[in-house]
Amino acid sequence: MTEAKAVDAKRAGGKAVDTTRLARVAVTLGGLAAGYVLVVGLHRAEILINDYYLQILIWVGINVIMGVSLNLINGFTGQFSLGHAGFMAIGAYVAASMTKLMGMPFALSLAAGGIAAAAGGLVVGIPTLRLAGDYLAIATLGFGEIIRVIILNLDVVGGPRGLPGIPAHTTFLWVYVIAAATVVVVRNLIWSRQGRALVAIREDETAAETMGVDTTRSKIMAFVVGAFFAGVAGGLYAHKITFIDPSQFDFMKSIEALVIIVLGGLGSITGTVMAAFVVTFLPEILRAFADYRMIIYSLMLILMMLYRPRGLMGTAEFSFRQLGLGDRRPAPDKGGQRAGRSDGPPPVLETRGVCMDFGGLRAVSDFSMTLRQGELVGLIGPNGAGKTTVFNMLTGLAEATSGRVCFMGEDITRRRPSEINDMGVARTFQNIRLFSNLSVLDNVRIAFRGERLYSMTEALLRAGRYATQEEQIYGKSMEFLRLFGLDDRASEIAGKLPYGAQRRLEMARALATKPKLLLLDEPAAGMNPQETQELLELIRWIHERFDLTVLLIEHDMSLVMKLCQRIIVLDYGVTIADGAPAEIVKNRRVIEAYLGEEAV
Amino acid sequence: MVIQQLVNGLALGSVYALIALGYTMVYGIIRLINFAHGDIFMLGAYYGYFAITMFNIPFALALPLTMVLAAVTGMAVERLAYKPLRQAPRIASLITAIGVSLLLQNLGLKFFEARPRPYPRIMRTVVWDLGGVVVSNVQLIMLALAIALMVLISLIVYRTKIGKAMRAVSFDKDAARLMGIDADMVISITFALGSALAAAGGMLVGFYYNRISPTMGSMYGLKAFVAAVVGGIGIVPGAMLGGLIMGVAEVFVIAFVSSMLKDAIAFAILIVILLFKPAGLLGRAVREKV
Repeated sequence: MTEAKAVDAKRAGGKAVDTTRLARVAVTLGGLAAGYVLVVGLHRAEILINDYYLQILIWVGINVIMGVSLNLINGFTGQFSLGHAGFMAIGAYVAASMTKLMGMPFALSLAAGGIAAAAGGLVVGIPTLRLAGDYLAIATLGFGEIIRVIILNLDVVGGPRGLPGIPAHTTFLWVYVIAAATVVVVRNLIWSRQGRALVAIREDETAAETMGVDTTRSKIMAFVVGAFFAGVAGGLYAHKITFIDPSQFDFMKSIEALVIIVLGGLGSITGTVMAAFVVTFLPEILRAFADYRMIIYSLMLILMMLYRPRGLMGTAEFSFRQLGLGDRRPAPDKGGQRAGRSDGPPPVLETRGVCMDFGGLRAVSDFSMTLRQGELVGLIGPNGAGKTTVFNMLTGLAEATSGRVCFMGEDITRRRPSEINDMGVARTFQNIRLFSNLSVLDNVRIAFRGERLYSMTEALLRAGRYATQEEQIYGKSMEFLRLFGLDDRASEIAGKLPYGAQRRLEMARALATKPKLLLLDEPAAGMNPQETQELLELIRWIHERFDLTVLLIEHDMSLVMKLCQRIIVLDYGVTIADGAPAEIVKNRRVIEAYLGEEAV
Repeated sequence: MVIQQLVNGLALGSVYALIALGYTMVYGIIRLINFAHGDIFMLGAYYGYFAITMFNIPFALALPLTMVLAAVTGMAVERLAYKPLRQAPRIASLITAIGVSLLLQNLGLKFFEARPRPYPRIMRTVVWDLGGVVVSNVQLIMLALAIALMVLISLIVYRTKIGKAMRAVSFDKDAARLMGIDADMVISITFALGSALAAAGGMLVGFYYNRISPTMGSMYGLKAFVAAVVGGIGIVPGAMLGGLIMGVAEVFVIAFVSSMLKDAIAFAILIVILLFKPAGLLGRAVREKV
């Protein structure tokens, strides 16, 4: 229905699409302004909101900024950070020193606080983001504490005595505007190509890497943006409370932000905003219980987690779509034609004497092969022969102990997976690694990042090339889905697709990164004969249609025999045969490897 | 001077090690950073305090009694707050653990009073001067007790049937279940053992520093946890090693650098270790299988 409208709009001349866009911007800004007027109006008229509540609303706003910025790191990028208070402290101290000690204007000081915190995020992020999961959490916790101890030892800002007499610049208007801006910016980021890369990292870092996502850069970006807003929140905090000391930014402050995002739902901005209200108002309401306040608060926290372990909102969001306010998805671009590819000189991939040792075990030994442009080659061998290890070395997930891997004449032996993907190698995985909580469409959309797309600023402001390029990305992604018969399931959650469809989606996703070489790891595993037959035709077809070179690991011999022009056989990491299917079936060593010596 | 500080550091470190063992065992078995563990340690200190001051129970009896009480508390916490969340996202249990920590701490503030209390003297402090190095009987008792408990726990984990079950559950809970191990019971016992050790640590800290407070759990807990991670979380000897390193480092920083930096050193060590040995000193990095 909405889609049809959008199509009509497009036909009407393209301008209408911009009108919906403008309408959405207008509604957003109008809604935000109305919200402000409502709160201030009620306050003036002394209905519902008295001075005390207005103060609490300011704290809510600060908590919204803290929560949303942490959710970008924890909820959307999946990087467990426990050091948010440290960034808040940097922002608070920098901003407060600037206004109090140097007499700088408030806005400038807030911005400086944010930038200082972002710089802190960069310094903390570069070393720590190599860690994962709980280790990252603990390292960020450590950094948060170290930042605090450094401030504790800085006499300029009062050390342990703190910094009193900060001008009370923070008003409801300031907090409201900045909180709204934070929400809009983070939301825009999430819905951009840069943001999709973040979510892909959360879902499956390895798969994201092999799809060309520069995971380190993306994670640091999320960390820096998150730290920036935490710094701004710190500045607002300092100019609200007017007295800061290091103990205010201890570990518990980070926990407070964490509680907000977990209670709201990791990966839901709407939930974060709601939880910021709950977490800020709850202790105030509990003031009536005096001494028992914190006991009740902690009990409620436990109970809320026991009954809503996924938070208030899960990952759901409030959106215009739910209000029926026009999904401006354009009609898929029918004309999206792949650029013609030069049929360069034959060898696409060459490996020379590649070895892989795991401890004392040589998983792959002296593996040499050449794949020529347009070849469709099978890589077979008994379980444990080292086939997947070969794939991992070709895609940068594992580094060869010795030997060289060259792709299009360039040495890629020590390149990172994302770089190798950028050069034109894509793969699928034996045990399907989709971004399973994302939609089918988003799984493919993540592929579109590289090629001179819109910038980060354009993404955050949804300006410039953002709209037109997002439309193109949508169009191209839908085209890929259509090729694999998945277009009618585009909005379904990838993890809930039937098995065969998941396999196809993984191939669609790999193809969307525009590879020259496609590596398929057991694509027929778990398929019935009917599905295998369809797969056979599908691979043949994409091989031709996309002018690909294909290397395929497979245990289904009939598939391999029918499909491949050439077969390489590995056994215990050693290449024991390499030739046309007809030769391979007769090869003595191959039969031995598969059936044992007696069978020969 | 250096040897003197080393002795003091080992005494403090042995307490960190006792607390770290609980973190590491719980993490090893259910992958949960049990933030409430530091507060169990605090409760242990208070259980001991009340046992001695209110009921005049001698130390030798108060210690095991306290450990049993703390074990029961730890098991109750696990049953009520963590067990229902076993299938939930891990972060939900983590927040719950933080909730439990806040709860215990605030219960402490309410019922034990916020003011720090002096710990009862169980014996006269005797100090020996061994060629410039001063050692007190409290330090020796502390070290001896801590080491004895660590040896005991190692024997339990590596030499008994229940220890084998713990390791099995830690390795693969579902497979252990299929082998007839009552995983829930094993998890309960793990909490009990960890909590008992923390309580012993709490009493020892009370003696050594002669001062306990309801909020003492946070910092000790955090540093002990850091110790567990430094040693390699989930690894029993790692927790002991990490604890001793933390204690010695902290005492050295206070003595030779600045007492203002004492809380930063633990985290600085942590970060440096993690950057070079991402799984801790005794941990083995496991590469994800693709």
